[in-house]
Amino acid sequence: MLASTHVPSVFTGSADAVALVVLLSEFAMLRAPLLRSQIRLYSFQSFAVTGLAVIVAATRNLNELFIIAGFSFVLKVVLVPGIIMRLLRDSRVDLVGSHRLGVASMVLLAIVISVFGIFVVGSLPIHSQSLPTPALGLAMAIILVSFLLVILRSDVVSQAVGFFSLENGVSVASLVVAAGLPLIVEVAFLFDLLVAVVVFGVLMRVHHNRTKTLSTSVLDRLRG
Amino acid sequence: MKLAPAEIQALQDLTIVVFAPLVSGGIAHIEGRLQGRRGPRILQPYYDLVKFFAKETLVPEDASWVFLAGPVLAFSCYLIVPLLIPVLTNYPLPLGYIGDILAGGFILALAGFAVALAAVETGSPYAQLGSSRAMTFGALIEPSILFVTFTVALITTTDLPYFEAAAVRSSMSQIVRPAHILAVIAFFLVVLNDTGRIPVESHTSTIEFGMIDEARTLEHSGPAFALLRWGSAMKQLILYVILINVFIAPWGLAGSRSLGAVLIAIPIFITKAFGVGFLFAIIDNSFSKLRLFKITEYMAVAFLLAVLALLVLFLGGG
Repeated sequence: MLASTHVPSVFTGSADAVALVVLLSEFAMLRAPLLRSQIRLYSFQSFAVTGLAVIVAATRNLNELFIIAGFSFVLKVVLVPGIIMRLLRDSRVDLVGSHRLGVASMVLLAIVISVFGIFVVGSLPIHSQSLPTPALGLAMAIILVSFLLVILRSDVVSQAVGFFSLENGVSVASLVVAAGLPLIVEVAFLFDLLVAVVVFGVLMRVHHNRTKTLSTSVLDRLRG
Repeated sequence: MKLAPAEIQALQDLTIVVFAPLVSGGIAHIEGRLQGRRGPRILQPYYDLVKFFAKETLVPEDASWVFLAGPVLAFSCYLIVPLLIPVLTNYPLPLGYIGDILAGGFILALAGFAVALAAVETGSPYAQLGSSRAMTFGALIEPSILFVTFTVALITTTDLPYFEAAAVRSSMSQIVRPAHILAVIAFFLVVLNDTGRIPVESHTSTIEFGMIDEARTLEHSGPAFALLRWGSAMKQLILYVILINVFIAPWGLAGSRSLGAVLIAIPIFITKAFGVGFLFAIIDNSFSKLRLFKITEYMAVAFLLAVLALLVLFLGGG
């Protein structure tokens, strides 16, 4: 078998392991009942992505990536979760029963989706110089599962967190295929996130003021 | 002085048989301390066994020979499994080739089946509840075990436990490879479940909600009950052997057939088992139990990790 003859090096193995941690935290978000714990998970996930960027930067001598990692730490690990947490504290809601499916079936569905993503990407002839190729498949899985998070959880916070973690998935993918991207482009991506935070922040506020809840299921009744 | 392979093999069995109650007692003691009690004596399980062996056996009126044969069959199954796994040595012993990880799993399942059958035989509702739950949840955790086995098979091209242990020992890159880490965590969750700790079972109490394994043995008494108790301690130690000596820390095993090397491997292994047992007790006591029907969530997590382990291997990055 391919796997038995090919043992990944320590760098490849640990990089893949970090990408896996990112994917697993995505799964954990899917499950987390408390909105607060979801945001903490997002912060943790961003930390893992930052760690991945640092690993790549250190082993591939891409100094610009250190700057990106620094930015992404400040923004995604500290700032964005902080803002969302604060909005949440203002709205005084901790728990919104927003699972549209049972946890076990959600996880199984997410497994199927990520298998799909991983195999689709695996069949593409993309090879990377900076990160092991499996990480790209994992990035695709992260993106697909975060779509699932947005679809299957019906509260505003989950949808915001789902969207932000989608960006984390994209970050992993961009680390794989284009680690040497010009600094300005990467930074532009990061600041896009800030815009999204503002939009979601306004959305949360307005929604909570109007409906006194963070659940989006009441929106279903808004038919003409 | 060199030992014959057969002698070492017998010594493996003996280690499990003799020290299983010690490890159980040690964990129970630590657990008592964690809960602010003094905890039972570490040697308490031995006293219990002696007591039960001295008592008479009572058989429910309608029960047939199956009721008494079940515990014996289960105990003999637990005697066979240590022949297949690396308890003391890091090189395969002759009988180590008669079965792989799956065979070990099947023999453990046969033991579970025998106990369940003996329990159902009594007609007691609690015993039946216990065996029905044990069988159902056993089937639910099975996919995770299978996927862990597949992962091992892909890593080593065989699924003999000795080879997986050798692979882990061979280099650092084998330890940090994601497939290995994920499979280890998945198997860890499986063992947590199978030793009756997390997620729903309370392994010592007789509260109905958390009764699975304890409920099955309610109707047994005397030597048959002693065999069941002893057997369940042995099952726990066997699972620890697989977890420790195959996946987590396959170091400190005897590398040669000399008497000294084999004998020194015994206390090293018992120490490692205490370490893992301590960890399990901490985990058991720091998380609340789930509702019974939430057990699928736990199984789903173990399954997820095992599937991911296999997936990264297929991607060539595991």
